[in-house]
Amino acid sequence: MTRFAHFWRKSVDGRAAILYLLPSVILFSVFVFYPMFRTIYLSFFLTDQTGNAAIMVGFENFMYLLGSSEFQNSMKATGLFVLYTVPITIILALFFALLANEKLKGIGFFRTMYSSTMGISVAASSVIWLFMFNPSIGMFNRLLSVFDFPQIQWLLDPEWALISVAISTIWMNLGFSFLILLGGLQNIDEHLYESSRIDGAGYFYRLRRITLPMLSPTLFFIITISLINAFQTFGQIDILTKGGPSQSTNLIVYSIYREAFINYQFGTASAQAVILFIIILIVTILQFKLGERRVHYQ
Amino acid sequence: MNLRKMLKSSMFWMLILTVAILTACSNSDSSSDNNDSSSTNDTSSNSDGNKESGSEEAGKVSIEFWHAMSGTGQESIDAIVKGFNESQDKYEVKAEFQGSYEESLTKLRGVGGTKDAPAITQVFEVGTKYMIDSGYIEPMQKFIDEDNYDLSQLEENILNYYRVDGELYSMPFNSSTPVMIYNKDAFEAAGLDPEKAPETFAEVIDAAAKLKTDDMYGFSMLTYGWFFEQLVATQGGLYVNEDNGRSGDATEALFNGPEGLNVFNFLDTMNKAGTFGNFGTNWDDIRSAFATEKVAMYMDSSAGVAGAITNAPFEVGVAYIPHADEVQRNGVVIGGASLWMSKGIAEEEQEAAWEFMKYMTTPEVQAQWHLDTGYFAINPAAYDEQIVKDKWEEFPQYKVTVDQLQDTVPGLATQGALISVFPESRQQIVTALEELYQGKDPQEVLDKAAEGTNRAMEIANKTKQ
Repeated sequence: MTRFAHFWRKSVDGRAAILYLLPSVILFSVFVFYPMFRTIYLSFFLTDQTGNAAIMVGFENFMYLLGSSEFQNSMKATGLFVLYTVPITIILALFFALLANEKLKGIGFFRTMYSSTMGISVAASSVIWLFMFNPSIGMFNRLLSVFDFPQIQWLLDPEWALISVAISTIWMNLGFSFLILLGGLQNIDEHLYESSRIDGAGYFYRLRRITLPMLSPTLFFIITISLINAFQTFGQIDILTKGGPSQSTNLIVYSIYREAFINYQFGTASAQAVILFIIILIVTILQFKLGERRVHYQ
Repeated sequence: MNLRKMLKSSMFWMLILTVAILTACSNSDSSSDNNDSSSTNDTSSNSDGNKESGSEEAGKVSIEFWHAMSGTGQESIDAIVKGFNESQDKYEVKAEFQGSYEESLTKLRGVGGTKDAPAITQVFEVGTKYMIDSGYIEPMQKFIDEDNYDLSQLEENILNYYRVDGELYSMPFNSSTPVMIYNKDAFEAAGLDPEKAPETFAEVIDAAAKLKTDDMYGFSMLTYGWFFEQLVATQGGLYVNEDNGRSGDATEALFNGPEGLNVFNFLDTMNKAGTFGNFGTNWDDIRSAFATEKVAMYMDSSAGVAGAITNAPFEVGVAYIPHADEVQRNGVVIGGASLWMSKGIAEEEQEAAWEFMKYMTTPEVQAQWHLDTGYFAINPAAYDEQIVKDKWEEFPQYKVTVDQLQDTVPGLATQGALISVFPESRQQIVTALEELYQGKDPQEVLDKAAEGTNRAMEIANKTKQ
């Protein structure tokens, strides 16, 4: 008995900690862990038309996916899409943030403009881009014909479709990346620049030696977020191309949606979701292992 | 100093304002969505509480009707529902737009079979098998038998599609068939007879070559499985085995046989000759291409005829869909959607739904529906109504669509295939068509689509309870 009382008294901190963690544990369980385990469970089954697990098939869904050319194509498209969008978005956002960080009259106007895409929902902006890409009446093809360039089938040509979607995605994501990077820039201590200026350092020297190292935690954050976002792109695909033409824009999340809600194959859809989860997990771990070394925390 | 401060703060407020406006804009979408879903879950209370309680006192039975018609279709449905509500004082129908056919079916899956389900749901033709198997619905035949409703007044060719094992499961509503729409002015300019549209694949290929100019393609077809199904059916070809899935659960796709290959070769020939224009998978894109004279002939739904005539600045011709040269024309399969009665809801709600469906099939309502939308009147007596006669006088193109349907040879092919995985199979066809347009071999892409369909059917049959 005394032993128990002893234990009880010693573990008071632990018990308090559990109590404090309880709300987030409950919320995470309901909205993250339960769906996640349910997905993993379903990925081992074939489901009937109402989405209930019907036949246990073990790893057959995974084997089927890994051997299917459609899924390989979808992985390839996702990889390309990440490569097209993430670096360009971040470089552009960094460029705009550096510009907007200068102290000039009316700079607030430009800051507003550069970050404005953040305020437009993916659905709304996709519809606008859809009109601009339209092959018969779209703005881009009109412009091309004004300058006598050959017409481009933006969303209909498999060679162009992914690039077109990437262009619109870069535009959509620019505002958010810009805002985060600008915030990071504003946090850099003014004194650092002042003393380096006294030492006679030029703009690019200061950029390389002060701005980028001091910005590296923000850059690291935005790269991680952008990567994960790019892997999970869905809205613009659904509105602009529906995964076509010839599956060239069938990114993994869209493919999951199609498998689950158009074909009602929740088993294979869940298996795809599990594979996507593993890929993002690996990419993020790699990033933390390799990228974080270069990050300079104050 | 002060001025700069003022400028700075005004910039700040501008930013806040812009963000507020932008989020308000994007939010208005989602909030109206929320309204939609909340009102579907809980019809009687909240927003229009006043009106509601008034009608409750009068003892009215109120039911929901989920549909997938936007644009002119939605306006017409709202008018029909209003007409019904005013025609009697026992029932009240509320029409609710639920997004595309796919979207509304997905929503129905959430409430199907419970008392929250809408009394009437509009489901597209390829969802027929799915709905029958789902257990969400009460077969229409039950009410027809109880009420001694005379089915013979409805169009036989349309009933054929929705009749399964001799029973009618749903009430046909908006029915359409494909047609070929062409630019008469362009025909004249190319030296073709604008009153005689090409009828066979070879004739279409010839005409397309003559019509092709620098700005205009000869022929186009929406990249959509439905048109492929139709071009196979008009040759008498079956889509799947087991008599097109009507005598048992289909297990094997047949569309990669000679008839399907004919269609793919037909498209391939024009594509390779550069006379075929690919305008993608979006109905609006291909329609605007026709209206802006980027393509001279294209395949559309009969429901698109009205729009094509009003939007085009030139003379529009409507013709039967083409068929392979070596076969007789069989005709077309009914497309569109039908109305399904829910199971698990109160009896008086089912009664209300049945009354509404009867109202919808009256010649007067059907005549108006036909003229508003270009869909068929499922009650052929509607074609004798004066307003229809007047319209046909003015636009003889409308009549072509009805003639094509009534000329159809009844048979397994034109009855249409019945499989539960149709949406997936159509997806496979879309991919096959897109690959064809990229220059792949017709037989190879068709076989791949058939393989995908076979796998989907196999899983569906295996997991069926």
